[in-house]
Amino acid sequence: MSLKEAAERDRERSIIARTNATRRFFNINALYTALLFITWISLNSAVKIPEQFQKSNHTNNWAVLVDTSRFWFNYRHVANVLSIYRSVKRLGIPDSQIILMISDDMACNPRNPRPATIFNNAHEQINVYGDDVEVDYRGYELMENFVRLLTGRVPPDTPRSKRLLTDEGSNILIYLTGHGGDGFLKFQDSEEITSQELADALEQMWQKKRYNEIFFIIDTCQASSMYEKFYSPNILATASSLVGEDSLSHHVDSAIGVYIIDRYTYYVLEFLENVHPNSDKTMSEFLAVCPKSACLSTVGVRRDLFNRDPNKVPITDFFGSIRPVIITTDPINILEIPKRKRKTEKKTKIDEKRAYLPQFPMHLVQATV
Amino acid sequence: MGTESNRMWASAAFVGVLIVIGMPLWWKTTEVYRVSLPYDKISSFNTEAHYVTTQLNVLANDERTASEIIGLIEKTFEDADIIKLKIKKIILSEELQSKLETAASEHRSVEELANAFDLEQHNTFYVVQKKSLLQDVWLANERVMFYSDDKSSSIVVEVLKQWIYQTSVLLGARSEKADAARQTRFPPSNGYHVVLSIVQPRPDAIRVDFPTKEAVEDYIGTFVDELSVLHNFTLKSQWLYLLDFDFQATEVKDKTEWGRHYAVAQDRLSLLLTKLEERAATQVSELSTINLALYATPCEKAPLAIYDSSDRMISAPVPAFMSPKWGGVVLGSPSAADCNDEVPTWQPNIRTIMGAFISHLRKLIGIVDNEYIDGAFLEPLKSVVPRKWEIDNLLRIRTLEQLTSAERTLQSLAQLLGEISNIVINDEVGALINSAVENIRVASHLLGEGKLLEAYETSLIAFLAAESAFMEPSLLSLLYFPDDQKYAIYIPLFLPIMFPVVLSLKHLILWMRGKPIHKEKTE
Repeated sequence: MSLKEAAERDRERSIIARTNATRRFFNINALYTALLFITWISLNSAVKIPEQFQKSNHTNNWAVLVDTSRFWFNYRHVANVLSIYRSVKRLGIPDSQIILMISDDMACNPRNPRPATIFNNAHEQINVYGDDVEVDYRGYELMENFVRLLTGRVPPDTPRSKRLLTDEGSNILIYLTGHGGDGFLKFQDSEEITSQELADALEQMWQKKRYNEIFFIIDTCQASSMYEKFYSPNILATASSLVGEDSLSHHVDSAIGVYIIDRYTYYVLEFLENVHPNSDKTMSEFLAVCPKSACLSTVGVRRDLFNRDPNKVPITDFFGSIRPVIITTDPINILEIPKRKRKTEKKTKIDEKRAYLPQFPMHLVQATV
Repeated sequence: MGTESNRMWASAAFVGVLIVIGMPLWWKTTEVYRVSLPYDKISSFNTEAHYVTTQLNVLANDERTASEIIGLIEKTFEDADIIKLKIKKIILSEELQSKLETAASEHRSVEELANAFDLEQHNTFYVVQKKSLLQDVWLANERVMFYSDDKSSSIVVEVLKQWIYQTSVLLGARSEKADAARQTRFPPSNGYHVVLSIVQPRPDAIRVDFPTKEAVEDYIGTFVDELSVLHNFTLKSQWLYLLDFDFQATEVKDKTEWGRHYAVAQDRLSLLLTKLEERAATQVSELSTINLALYATPCEKAPLAIYDSSDRMISAPVPAFMSPKWGGVVLGSPSAADCNDEVPTWQPNIRTIMGAFISHLRKLIGIVDNEYIDGAFLEPLKSVVPRKWEIDNLLRIRTLEQLTSAERTLQSLAQLLGEISNIVINDEVGALINSAVENIRVASHLLGEGKLLEAYETSLIAFLAAESAFMEPSLLSLLYFPDDQKYAIYIPLFLPIMFPVVLSLKHLILWMRGKPIHKEKTE
């Protein structure tokens, strides 16, 4: 008992120390911001900054959304990932550019009191399994396929809809949820992916020019350990908890009987619900979406690999979809109507017409009347 | 003493088996299998070094004009490192001169020229003098350009640089960062899947008579037949019924037969693509798909017109748009008369619609449209067939793109192998890499010699080999078994055996030196 108390006190002390440090950091930060502001004003009087945001040079958007855990008590993870899926789809990323990986089929679970639905809120307002959900990988397919998908090393017979066909102009949103530990993320119950493997996979993507920028979100326990080993450029990463912390769930739906959403994702969704395709919200607003008072865990952010200032990156760079459209006004005025030489089609010759025999073979019977 | 030596021999045998044979064997069998790769060749790749050699024949009536034109061309292309011109000077014979001058039209002149020279050869271009020209320079759809006299030499040079050889696009194909043309055209591939979808939102309200099969076969088929040296194409057509899309168009009154049109904002168009993708099911093909869609606007929303971001109507023969690396869409609208019929039937104008699609296809395949040059006349396209010199340029662009892409892929792979130690390179991947390296060398050589077709084919093989080497599924086989985990498995397995063996080493060494081991015991 006394040991526990001591540990409690210890933790408190460390928290106080940390808050002191943060306060000091903020002081410096405030000063720095003021300085920056002054320089900005002096600059501004001379040069007009045309846009509020730094321009991104991406040409398409992709999303990889993964839920790694099975079984009914992990209902909340499926709700998490489907809620994010719903949000990115609402903001404009087409299904063909969303890879959705779900380990278990909660909607059809026999323990689900409301079959064919998944809710992310106790009031059961939004059925996140509602209108067409396209799951690309499910069940046991997930384990190895996540790294295969990222690096593009899928078996040759994989259909194009299940491939990550990104190029050098793609911004990718990666969202992972499930159960994690220090340095690994559990894939169902038998495999795990380590932070090193994930970092290597992303590096291979970078080397093959498979992305322009990545926004990496992970909602697991000790989540920040997963992005610590990243070493490839242009990645902005955020995690629901730091190493040594647990990510907690938000609330129970007593009708369904399990926790139905995680805290971090809950607040992310609350934020995303107010984002629309022309929204001017920035990434830094997204990164600050779940303060410690709400999440109970500390949201970790890693921005040293990211080149742009999150304050100036619109959230739609990752959650929305950009699709360049060129209006064409120069149809070719075709004067010579082309006629292609046709290959003679092989049609099977039908020698005789076949017909059903009459039901009563009257033609065989000689007329008696 | 006998038992002592027996024990020592036994322990020596253990040492021998476990340490002398076992350890190296274990080390050898657990190491990452890697075929030896030509790292030095890969690291010596220089993507900036590739250039194209091309044949240019300058035909003039007299020696002086020929020298002047050639002098200026040589001077202009002197510092272009991407293209090397092999210029041949030919003085036109009196007979041919008069034939060219007296020909009824420029087309007749081209035909006359075709009798004398082989215009069908790839990578060869003819610059020919013809005094009786209305313009300074007249560019045919064949591999021929006419110029009037030596005063037009500066225009000749401009046309060569911007239209015929498109040096900026060639440079873009080789460069690290994708230029505008590379962002528009599809990435290199040995084949494409072209799908024409007719979108019919209201089949109950209007009949659309569009001979889809014939249109695809005749118009697109004829177009892609000309590109058969570059890619294989598979063609398909389909009808998509009841695909409803809300353009959020606003009604604008005008003076046409309808008395109105519906204004569609440009921003709205990209959402139509998303809607189309839901239904078009084009991912069924292994090849990358070029999507073409004709949207048959229902009567109550016709006619549609596209408005740009500053809210001005974009005037075009037919409202159409394309999306880079995706495809093109034509918004077709029936006329007022069509809709007022008893049975509303719309017969789309195949020529205009297919004209718009062919224009999209050209850009998506990689043909870059030319900007206007003062004094030069470009014969407008009258058929779906691309210009002969456009095909040559496409071959040049694709060859350079495939070569540099293959080199970059191999270089990234080599770098990755250095960075991540547990990537397996099996014999198959090794063979692919070696074949890619060899084909790059051959293709680069052929390109320098001016054998364009062979260079294209070899570079395509190199490109595909490099891609499949990088994307080979077997490369991941050991990525799930990193070194730290390897030791975590082997050490608990071997440590209990190794412990007594290592401890007995000391005794063994002492015994070998002939020293007594257990002094206290013998006493």
